[in-house]
Amino acid sequence: MESHPETSSIERPLVSVVDDDESVRESLPDLLKEFGFAARAFSSPEEFLASDCFGQTKCLILDIAMPGMSGPDLQRELKLRRQEIPIIFITASTDKTVRPRLLEQGAVECLFKPFSATALLEALNAALRVN
Amino acid sequence: MAVVNDRALESRDRIDGGESVADSAKSRDVPLDSSVPTASLESILCTEELQRRPSRPPDYEKENQALVKLVSALADSPTTIFRTLAETIQDITQCDSAGLSLLTRDGKTPHVDGKRFYWPAIAGMWNPHVGGGTPRNFGPCGDVLDQNRTLLFTHFERRYPYLMPVNPAAEECLLVPFYVDGKAVGTIWGIMHSDRRKFDAEDDRVMASLGKFASSAYRALIHIEDLKFQVSEREKAEAEVRELARGLEAKIRRLVEANVVGIVMWNLEGAITGANEAFLRMVQYDREDLACGRVRWMDLTPAEWRGHDEGAIADLKATGIFQPFEKEYFRKDGSRVPVLLGGALFERSGKEGVAFVLDLSEQKRQESARLYSEERYRVVVETASDAVVSIDDKGSIVFANPATATIFGYDPAELAGKPLTLLMPEYMRELHQTGFKRYLATGQRHMNWQGTELTALRKNGEEFPVEVSFGEITRDDHKTFTGFLRDISKRKQAEQALRRSEAFLAEGQHLGQIGSFSWRAATDEITWSAELYRIYELEIGVPVTLELIRSRVHPEDVSLIEKMTMVDQAREGHDFEWQYRLLMPDHSIKYMHAVAHATQDQDGQLEYMASVQDVTARRLAEEARDKARSELTHVARVMSLGTLTASIAHELNQPLSGIVTNASTCMRMLAADPPNVDGARETARRTIRDGNRASEVVTRLRALFTKKDATTESVDLNDAARVVIALLSSELQRSQVTLRHEFADDLPAVTGDRVQLQQVILNLLRNASEAMSTVDDRPRELLIRTERDEGDQVSLSVKDAGVGFTPHVADKLFEAFYTTKSDGMGIGLSISRSIIAAHHGRLSAAQNDGPGATFSFSIPCRREDGLTSDNAGAATRMGSARDAA
Repeated sequence: MESHPETSSIERPLVSVVDDDESVRESLPDLLKEFGFAARAFSSPEEFLASDCFGQTKCLILDIAMPGMSGPDLQRELKLRRQEIPIIFITASTDKTVRPRLLEQGAVECLFKPFSATALLEALNAALRVN
Repeated sequence: MAVVNDRALESRDRIDGGESVADSAKSRDVPLDSSVPTASLESILCTEELQRRPSRPPDYEKENQALVKLVSALADSPTTIFRTLAETIQDITQCDSAGLSLLTRDGKTPHVDGKRFYWPAIAGMWNPHVGGGTPRNFGPCGDVLDQNRTLLFTHFERRYPYLMPVNPAAEECLLVPFYVDGKAVGTIWGIMHSDRRKFDAEDDRVMASLGKFASSAYRALIHIEDLKFQVSEREKAEAEVRELARGLEAKIRRLVEANVVGIVMWNLEGAITGANEAFLRMVQYDREDLACGRVRWMDLTPAEWRGHDEGAIADLKATGIFQPFEKEYFRKDGSRVPVLLGGALFERSGKEGVAFVLDLSEQKRQESARLYSEERYRVVVETASDAVVSIDDKGSIVFANPATATIFGYDPAELAGKPLTLLMPEYMRELHQTGFKRYLATGQRHMNWQGTELTALRKNGEEFPVEVSFGEITRDDHKTFTGFLRDISKRKQAEQALRRSEAFLAEGQHLGQIGSFSWRAATDEITWSAELYRIYELEIGVPVTLELIRSRVHPEDVSLIEKMTMVDQAREGHDFEWQYRLLMPDHSIKYMHAVAHATQDQDGQLEYMASVQDVTARRLAEEARDKARSELTHVARVMSLGTLTASIAHELNQPLSGIVTNASTCMRMLAADPPNVDGARETARRTIRDGNRASEVVTRLRALFTKKDATTESVDLNDAARVVIALLSSELQRSQVTLRHEFADDLPAVTGDRVQLQQVILNLLRNASEAMSTVDDRPRELLIRTERDEGDQVSLSVKDAGVGFTPHVADKLFEAFYTTKSDGMGIGLSISRSIIAAHHGRLSAAQNDGPGATFSFSIPCRREDGLTSDNAGAATRMGSARDAA
């Protein structure tokens, strides 16, 4: 795993973003690209699961609260499928108690919106380092 | 006579070489006017010569000897007496031939009216001619009988030509008749064939003597023949009798040896002298016992039967027979055998006789069995609890058993001779009579004779239902009809009660929309009640199969049902309940709640009895309630500041996050070499958009907070309260809070936001419940009251028995964020107060006299002109909303 993607000439690792909020889906992929990742955005876990990126995703940025399948639901589903994709949860909620729980479940990080770009990058590195 | 003749003829039937005189005589008709000239009678007679001729001296001694000889010959050998006589004649008269002629019928049978003379014996030269004879009407013997005296003939063949061939010729013939009972029966004669000597007076005298002897001999012979005949007849008869007897004996022996009945020979002294096997077997004695005389009928007879024996003996002596009578014998082993015997003496005045003995054991046994069977039958009829009544072919009662008294009230005795119709109601009598008569006439039955239900009549006039079975017996051309009548009034009542209870059950099921079914685990037999068919919307009575059930059960629940049945079979008979849905043909859904109870049917087999209730209405209500609750909760959540804050935060964090992200991106893009100006521009655009979005959120939230969108309507506080109570009921139950309500009747409606008002009530009730959460020493009682206040106000109060509040706290209660709850946000009361204020009302709280507090609010009633200066805007909005509504 490359820690500094800019020096790498090989294929960029794919990061998938799943969030029902349009702003997030619009803004995050660009930032990720700036970070040197390939990025794809999905409005729901179902859309993500059905996509062809499912297999190539190296890291998943996952909203918690979504109509239909939630973020933790997707986490469980991936566990069932034995797809150990590192997950970074993001949430607009202010409930601080969710973070420890999610980390226990195996998430790499849980960021509270609005989060800084730096926090995000740290989390991404942690995620890719895990693998 | 025939015997003699036969014997004579036997020896003399044929003469060797010649024709017998008999033959020649037989073969020739006697010519009375033949062509051959015959001499006259006188010409051949010279009887008077006898006296003229010198007579020889009588030889008396010779005569005596001859007579003695004759007599002894007669005694000794009567059959040869004629021969002896002939020889004697010849001897005494010293003639050449001597013989006898017997007058016979047809040449054989001696008869005084005979037509022919027969020579049974001839001595001397004419001996070969024995058996011959002469005709009565034309011959020397005939002449003698005609003249009735001794005649002397000479050469009689001159007159009687048929004598010509009889050689040698008769020079002289002396014939003497002899008589029996005054009638001439024949002659004796002597013949000289030459004139060596001529017959004289002495010969005449001797011949006369011999003639007398001949009579005697003839008589004796006849007598002897008679005797012989008689003897032979008797012998024949005896032989016949013997034959008969033999035949009879054989026949009787057949009977005796057939051993179908005992046959004994007995004597009056008491012995049994002979017996067949049948008898011996009967009394278990053997032949040896019999032979040794150990079998004595007197000894075999028990004492009490001796009288009968004496009677029999008397009869025997009087009539020679004794009629059959019954008695008993002792067997050899001492046991008794019942017998029937009859018999007779061999001879009227004899001492011995014969008897048949019939073993009656079998008859007695059958009789006893029959009596026993009759007795049993009688006992059955006597003790039957059903009435048993018999009638004759006139329809009159001939018998009634004791139960008839119990059932009909008549004593059996008073029913004798009464018509059967007495036991029927008036309107049934004619039908019965007609049917009975028709049956007697035609054999046609007008009803079923087994188990027919009819109406009967008791003595006291009460009509009651009976079940009747009857049958017919014919004896000696008399018909009797016997019937069993069972009082089924109780059964009918029970049937009626059952039908009623079944009707109730069906009605109950229908009212409660509860169907029931039974399921036999072993045979998969399923039976549904009518209501269940109705619930499933299937035709009542259609056979229930799993297919049928599956056709109605909601597809998603089919597996549930099947799983339950499989699980059940594994459980083998435990109670269980389950809930499932039906999908009706019109696609509507019914909710079912089934409870099954395992039981055993009458064969001991596992059977489930289940009730199935259509709980659709309840479920829909629950769903509505849940929806209302969640709505309410949602509203509450919205109203709670904590949630509000979170939701605000959430709402704002989204665009804020976008802004932050975009800004970071923008900086990086501009810092790139070369700078990504287009990208930066895009991020800037997004930033502005997100900023706008954020401000929209704030605006929206503010609007929500100020309730710009409150709805107004006419609200009945009682109803509103009831909904809230329903929502909270399970929660309150869990907290062991008892809720009482006192709702004012015809409480006037208020104008306002129903949901908001309900929110207030909910808030108050929740607070009250929570105030009592630590109370253990008194009941947790809640009282919610509504009443109409003066001044057209409606008030609602919630009183609890909780911890209450101190005066110090009272001031702060309604302040925002004030809370005594450790996890509360203190928003409820504050918002509640604003809501009530918006409704132009007041929310207040007060300590109770006892423990706890009472919170209450009052709102003005709906008024046409509900305008206050405080909320002119709100009122206007409300007003316009109302106008619109």
